Parts: sequence; structure tokens; C-alpha cells
Amino acid sequence: MSVDVESILRTVDHELPPFPPKVIMLATGEPMVIRQASRDEIPDILPHVEALIHHDRDFYDVVAARVYSELLGHFKHRYQDQYLLVAQCDGHLAAVVNGRAVDAKTGMSLHTLGLRRGLRAGAHAFAAKMEYHFDQLGHQEVLIVAESPIGFRRWMIEYKLEKRFEIPHELGGCPSWSLTRALFDRARGSLVVGSRPVGKELLAKAMAAILPPTDPPKMAPDFLAATRARYDSTGTAIIARTQK
Amino acid sequence: MNKQILGYKCKKCGHVQYPYHSRCKKCGHTEWRGFDIVFDTAPLPQDGKLLTFTHLYALPPDFEAVTVSFGIVELSDGHRITGQLKIEAPKIGMKVQGKVELVRQEGYTKHWGLVFYSAA
Amino acid sequence: MRDVYVVGIGITSFTRLDYPLAEIAAYPALQAMQDAGLDKVDHVYVANMGGGRVSNQTALGSAVVDHLCLWPVGAETIENGPASGASAIKTGAMAIASGMMDTVLVTGAERMNEVNSLEATDFVATLAHPMAERIYGVTLPALAGMFTRLYMERYGVTSRHLAMVAIKNHANACLNQFAHVQNKISMDGILDGKDASHNNPVIADPLRFFDICPVSDGGAAVILASAEVAKKLGKPLVKLAGFGQATDTHAVHEREDPTALTAVRLAADKAFKMAKLKPADVDVAELHDAFTILEIAESEEVGFFEKGKGHLALERGETALNGKLPINTSGGLKARGHAVGATGIAQAHEIVLQLRGDAKKRQVKDAKVGFTCNFGGFGNNVVCLAMVRE
Repeated sequence: MSVDVESILRTVDHELPPFPPKVIMLATGEPMVIRQASRDEIPDILPHVEALIHHDRDFYDVVAARVYSELLGHFKHRYQDQYLLVAQCDGHLAAVVNGRAVDAKTGMSLHTLGLRRGLRAGAHAFAAKMEYHFDQLGHQEVLIVAESPIGFRRWMIEYKLEKRFEIPHELGGCPSWSLTRALFDRARGSLVVGSRPVGKELLAKAMAAILPPTDPPKMAPDFLAATRARYDSTGTAIIARTQK
Repeated sequence: MNKQILGYKCKKCGHVQYPYHSRCKKCGHTEWRGFDIVFDTAPLPQDGKLLTFTHLYALPPDFEAVTVSFGIVELSDGHRITGQLKIEAPKIGMKVQGKVELVRQEGYTKHWGLVFYSAA
Repeated sequence: MRDVYVVGIGITSFTRLDYPLAEIAAYPALQAMQDAGLDKVDHVYVANMGGGRVSNQTALGSAVVDHLCLWPVGAETIENGPASGASAIKTGAMAIASGMMDTVLVTGAERMNEVNSLEATDFVATLAHPMAERIYGVTLPALAGMFTRLYMERYGVTSRHLAMVAIKNHANACLNQFAHVQNKISMDGILDGKDASHNNPVIADPLRFFDICPVSDGGAAVILASAEVAKKLGKPLVKLAGFGQATDTHAVHEREDPTALTAVRLAADKAFKMAKLKPADVDVAELHDAFTILEIAESEEVGFFEKGKGHLALERGETALNGKLPINTSGGLKARGHAVGATGIAQAHEIVLQLRGDAKKRQVKDAKVGFTCNFGGFGNNVVCLAMVRE
């Protein structure tokens, strides 16, 4: 009898409870729906993540590359106990957040990828995933790291996270920070917003399809190309880059 | 030592100014003693009424607090001063009492300044 | 005294730019030279605030001349805090008015990319009074917060008025391809809605996130010339008809009336007097809205509206793009962005575009007279410019 190798390689996923969708009004006045996305929807999301892998700004490249690998791993059953939430405006993707249940008490926050900038879409989605950890998964703490200064300000400072530096985080082995249930309960009033239930039509629109982001992060127009030596490895632009 | 914030009194016209300017703000006089510019100094009063205030949530990176409150206070002798507030719910016009405390530490440098409390 | 004309303009995107500071200044300068049809100038002034401390580039004037291969012309860096840009234009205009120079390049640049926004705010706070303000942790937003509270108390300005400024300027910026923030925002989203407090958190009470300008990288340039040169170049004639500057006490608390922006009033008076114009003659203006409250307060101090009535004019839509006196058609500092040293020049850039009739979708109809107010410190060093289409 042949051994079913796939069954050996596959993760042994636990059944994770559903995330009750919610809706948040953005600064533009548009409603943004945050809901759980299923494994089957991952192929609809990946192209939009892939586009950002070469976006060398605010660590979008690192975050997008890792989100891509996590989602692909999840899709092909190589990433244990991962969940995925998406934020959508009129069906269009605005943010992707994911995380993992480590055990009954501990959650591991993976990534927050904002696909619309300047409207705190990512911050709203992050708050939603913390809600999921504490309210649905029943975790007592969630381990978090930031890969960009923006993330650091949002999570570490706004939520006043505690240090768990003795625990290497799954993302690159960096020292972990912890959002405990007590800290989260304190932040609920100010940082966790939005309402439930989501209107029928709004939800139907969001569930129907994940549409491409309307205004994904893009590099500034390269108006300065005329005067600088970007491709010259001895050029000043490179010096400026390494000074950062 | 009881720390104080000083006002600088002109040797000619007696006008007291805060903060320090290198000559008298009112009469333009500079009192020279050799190469030194001299003023008489006198501690400013520390009580007054609150003129305006703010709670700042984006603090310079050397602050650990989440928010610090600042206010402009009209002191009982009419001088105005900017200081930190330690008042739960400040109101324009309220009476306040100041105290000189450590207000900021940048590396090894300590800054002392007025911190105001409710006088009610 | 000779007349001064603006014969060339150039600008970069206001955003985050991964290029050395000198290139950010050189790029718009080249555009401006091309626009004017000049390949040399008599002198160069470069406006910048943070070169030495933030970008590790001192003597920026020399670096820019080198980029532009303009040796051996004279060059200086002009640093006057956030008003560096208009200060440099004023200095260039004086050089031409005096008869010493016939053409002057004025370019400005800032690059805050190296530092995060808290460090950038801390850097800008170095312009506050070191002993009486900065030691307490006071930053520009804190000074603006205290100013706003008093203004609200005294004149009935509300958070709604502040939000109206932000919404207007964001909408204008959506029509400006060089603007930093091109997001249309709504009253529900930033003030009225249930989730608005999270979208628009308090930064310096009562000022919120959308009341405060972003920290941008960017550059802008103008070329100034004498009447003789300007007429030869054949560009639409935009005259820098007046400029004025005034200072005030370093510490805000030392001012007789902390809600008065005396330096704005005096600088504007001088500029109008020199240009032989009145505030009522102005068709389009760029005011220094680093904080939304400043657009309202400055619109009063420069003489467009009575003191304490600016917010009412805003309510009536008079300052909107299609209003009687459109203010900040570029998006202002609030949305076009605030690249500190370049801001005053970007304001002049917008006015020249408008007076030439080249502002496309955001063109103010028949704009003949334009005005800018570049606000340095917290109102302790202000430069105003008045421009006229001939």
C-alpha cells in the first residue's frame, strides 16, 4: 500500500470559530466591511498582495512577501491553524490581516497589510483580529511584532503592549510583544470601533467577490529620474539610501 | 532647594520680563558691567489663572507618557508663562498653583519647569 | 526700485522622496529654468530648514549650484523655519529690485524621510522658545492646540469648522497631481459618524489628526527676473508686486493677545501696501494651513475677513474652489503637503499657475491677483507675497 505523503505533510488544523462580520465608517464616509475569508478565496487575494512585494516603502515589500507566503501556505495546507480576515469597501479589498492560534490560551498575530493608505483601514482590521483572538478564540494573550515603524507606533504604543522578549516571535524570531486581555479590554473603548450586524446588502456585496483594491499603495511618480543616478551603484542616491 | 522661575528686572526702568531677552523689552536698556549684561532677578509668582490648554498625544520621542497637558497661565503679577498641567479636567479661567518640577529629561540633561495644579 | 517678475516655476511631488536633498532642490530648479527658457541665472537662493540636522547636508546652496552646473554664480541657503521658502523669494526679489541681479533662481527643498513623524515633529519643535516652551515638551501641534482652544472660546469656531477646512483642502488636493494626500474625506467619516473618533483621533486637543498637515518631502522653485528680462522671455507676465515680512515674540505666551497673529497682519499690510492693492482685490490665495485653524485665523489677519468672522465665510463656501475667494486651491499644507523649506515656494508656484491660467481642473476663473502667507515659527516670522498678472 502506498503511503499518502500529502496527509503527512498537511497541517492538522483545528476548527476555528467564525468571526462575526462588522462594518466601520471610514474618514471618507464609505462603509468598510471586515469579514472572515475562507481558504478558497485566497487565490483572489494573492495577486493584490503580490503586486506589493516590490513596493520598497514603509516595509511594504517585507510584509507583502511574508503575507504572500503565509496565505499560499494556508491555501496549500502548510500553515497550521491560520485564520484570515479581509476588509472591503464596496467589495474592493482594503486590508488583509491574518494570525494563528498557537494553543487555547495564546494567539500569534501574523500580518496587517493595508491596501488603501491614510484612512486607518489597517488599524481597523488589526483591531478586528484582536477582537477575534479574545472574543471568539478565547485567548488570554496575543504575541505581536512590528516590521515597520508605522506598525510599531500603532500596536506597541497605542495599545501599550507588554514586553515578552524571552519569546521569539514566529515572524523572524524577533522578541515578542504581548497584548493581554486586560490591555485589550482597556483599549476597547477607543481603538475598537465599528458596528454589528452588517446590513444584508453590504454583507452580500462583500461576500460576493473580492474585488481589486481601488487605490493600492504605489510609488510616487518618478519625476526626479532626470537628475539622479539611480542605477549607478556609486551614485549619490545609493548613499542616501544606505544612510536611512 | 526650592527651585524658582526667574523674572528679569531692568536696572533702568524696573520692567520685569519673562522669558529672558538680552535687553529690556520695554525701554531697550542694556546694563553693562564690564563685559556682562546684568538684570536684577526676582522669582515669578507661581499662582494664577489658566488662559488656555491642550492635551498632547503625539509627544517628542523622549517622553514615555501617552499624553501630557500644557497650558498658558496668567500669573498673579500679570506675567504669562507656558507650563505643564497636572489637572484632571482643566477649564479656561480656573485658578491654578504652580510648582517647579522635573518636566523633561533628554539623555542626561534634566529640564526643570513649572507644573500647574488646580488651586480650587 | 525695479519691478520683479516670476518667469519660471517648477515643483516635485510632495510625498516621500528617496533622493538626496540637493537633488530634490535641483529638479524643480531645472524645470523652472526650462519653463523660463533660461540656462543660466545670476544668483541662487536655496530655502531649507532641516538639511544640517536631518539630511546631513549643510551648505545646500553650494550643493544645488553643483548639481545644476551653474558655477561660478553666488548661492546661499536661506533658513527661516517653515517660512524659509517665502523668505528666499523675498531675498531674491530684493536682489533684483536693487539692480544687483537680473535673474535669480529660488529653489526650496526638504527631506524628512530619514526620521519618523515623531522625530520630525520634535525637530520642527526646535524652533520654539528653548527655555520657555521646548523644555516642557511643547511642539508646534501643542502651541496650535492651545491657540485653537482660545480661538474657539472667543470666536465660536467649532471642530466642525476645522473639519470643513480639511474637507475642502483634501478635495482641492485631489485635483493636484503633485499633492501628498489625495483622499476625499467626509464630515461623517471624520466628525459625525460613530467611528469618526477612531478615524480622526485627538492629537493636540482640540486638534485632531485631520487638522494637522502631513510631514512631506518635496521641492519647488521659481525664477525671478527684472522687467527687461521678463519681457524678452515672452512668458505670461506675473509680477511679484509686493512682499512683506514681520516678526513677533519667540514665546507665544508673551504676546499681548495670544489669539492675535500680529506678524501675519503686519506682513500682509506691507505686501499689500507695496503692491498698491487691497485684500478685496485678491482672487486666489494660499495660506499656511499647517493646522486647519491657521487657515481661518490667517484669512482674518491678512484682511480678507473681519477678525472672528473667517469661519463664517468658510461656512458660506466663500473660500471653496468655486467661491468668491478660493483659498488653498493646491490643497494647502493640509493636503498638498508641507515640505518645510519648500512650502513657501510651492505656495508661490500655485499662485503663478493660477495667474497664468494653467491650473487646469482647479483653475480659478479670471484670476488676476494672488496672495500667499508663509508662516514661520508659531507666527513669529511671517512672509507674505502679492502677485499680479499683467
